[in-house]
Amino acid sequence: MEYKAPKEAYKGMVREVTIGKGEKAMKVGGENILPFHFFDEGSLPNPPRFALEVLDMEPAEKTPHLIEPFGDVISDPIKWAKKCEGFGVDAICLTLVSTDPAEKDTSAEMAAQLVKRMLAEIKKPLIVYGSGDEKKDAEVLPKVAQVCAGENLLIGPVQKENFEAVGKAVLDNGHVAIAQSPIDINLLKELNVKLCKFLPPERVIIDPLSSALGYGIEYSFSLIERVKQIGVITKDSMTMMPIIANLGAECWKTKQAKENKTQGLLWEGMTALSLYLAGANILVLRHPETLKSIKETIGR
Amino acid sequence: MIIIGENIHVIAKDVSVAIRERNVKVIQGLTKEQTQSGAHYIDINVGPMKKDTEETMKWLVTNVQEVTDLPLSIDTMNPIAMEAGLKYCKKRALINSASGKTDSKAQMLPLAKKYNCGVVISVMTDKGMPPEVESKIESIMDTVSYANELGIPNEDIWVDPIILPVSTAGEGQNIAVGNLEFIKILQDVLPGVKSTVGLSNISNGVPAHLRPILNRTYLVMLEKNGLYSAIADPLDEELMAFMKGELPAIASLIYRTMEGEEIDLAPLSQKEVAYVKTARVLMAQSLYSDAWLES
Repeated sequence: MEYKAPKEAYKGMVREVTIGKGEKAMKVGGENILPFHFFDEGSLPNPPRFALEVLDMEPAEKTPHLIEPFGDVISDPIKWAKKCEGFGVDAICLTLVSTDPAEKDTSAEMAAQLVKRMLAEIKKPLIVYGSGDEKKDAEVLPKVAQVCAGENLLIGPVQKENFEAVGKAVLDNGHVAIAQSPIDINLLKELNVKLCKFLPPERVIIDPLSSALGYGIEYSFSLIERVKQIGVITKDSMTMMPIIANLGAECWKTKQAKENKTQGLLWEGMTALSLYLAGANILVLRHPETLKSIKETIGR
Repeated sequence: MIIIGENIHVIAKDVSVAIRERNVKVIQGLTKEQTQSGAHYIDINVGPMKKDTEETMKWLVTNVQEVTDLPLSIDTMNPIAMEAGLKYCKKRALINSASGKTDSKAQMLPLAKKYNCGVVISVMTDKGMPPEVESKIESIMDTVSYANELGIPNEDIWVDPIILPVSTAGEGQNIAVGNLEFIKILQDVLPGVKSTVGLSNISNGVPAHLRPILNRTYLVMLEKNGLYSAIADPLDEELMAFMKGELPAIASLIYRTMEGEEIDLAPLSQKEVAYVKTARVLMAQSLYSDAWLES
């Protein structure tokens, strides 16, 4: 008797979300299969995308092998971003760390102007992360959204403490929100439910928080896996959003990554590869050599 | 459904203060309220109770019995406090609770024989909480057969599968479904045993105003599967209305959800929609979040 492999068909589908506009536009998500289940009924129309992270200030932590590729541009975020484009990224991720009250407390207006200038200079779509300070982000991110109105940026993190202020600005100015919750599927869904009361779900991307190898990656892995399963298999509307794994900074915080270059690249690479396999749709890295080796590994 | 009134509970601040200050009025007030609301037992939960055990138990049991004719459920893990309470019970009491742990089998279970009373036995063992329905069944069969050997008949055993919060990330919903299954098959594996649950634990960790609907829906579901009794809040009028069969339309919506029917929410009232959504969460048909009624 001839063997016939079983073929699953799913009822749910990850929403296809567009980031950036015009020539810069990039689509993510859109799959109606579990990650890489090409043997099942359905497709993955948009392969996972890779971004490199740029900081809006010279990093305080100067790990030589992390700084090295950007040595000459490390104090100029726009040049830094342009250099990243040369490494074959799909998007640039600008993190406004300097706006953190514990850092330089840069004003919302100054931060927004930097985003606007960078937008004019780069050819790739732009992801903008605030400092993560939920109060300051509630000032900075709406200002960024206003100043760059209509540019369809991917803006976050939108957290449960500031989703109203940031989400509203994202909606009014035509952008996409990154909804972030602390590695907990129930809280993740709750935030999406609340956010989607006024923001269309096609304008939301999930950041489940990505932990580095050895620092809780198991939790991030199974959470991403579960979000995909619940979205694609059970068609839960509030988990059918693409996922961003912002892992570069987490990896380079670790003692192991700082110790030496080979180990650092492997640390970031293995973390990225794992979350890629779990189903992340956008992966944010720090080191261009990690990007290169990941792309070689997945062979595209 | 036998309701064991849960309101005399040492975790409640007014109760612990009342016990410490020997305030008869508070304790008797709670007893009367629960009796009038239709409870069948009064639970006296004193926690581990490390000091003045004998004297406190005597004070509590005597004063509660002064204002109610209901039997008592003595709720403590401490066998000394348990025996101190049982000594003063006028009606056939309930030991709440024993388990499959070595200590409990040695010290708690014999009290059921000695005082000729009912005993709640949980699925807990020395290894902790059995993770799956099958292992819960195995563990309770072991403990029940041990109790039988001590001379405690199945009719006096109230099996407790241990309810955990549905909101626990990851496993909470699956455990809720598993416990429904456990109650459903219990009579087949241990004919004649009774069953009980600590109902409000299902909604532990959930915002306070959302807890009652979870408790009520879950009790309706458990009753459908054959649950005999629950430690619950008899002062929740809607909960008691369900148990008296006064809300058959909503109960039927809950049953249909349990059977996997995809009920059209459009023609339903807001209240009916809330119960269907809650039943879906408790059946793990939709992922739990604190905003489950809003999505």
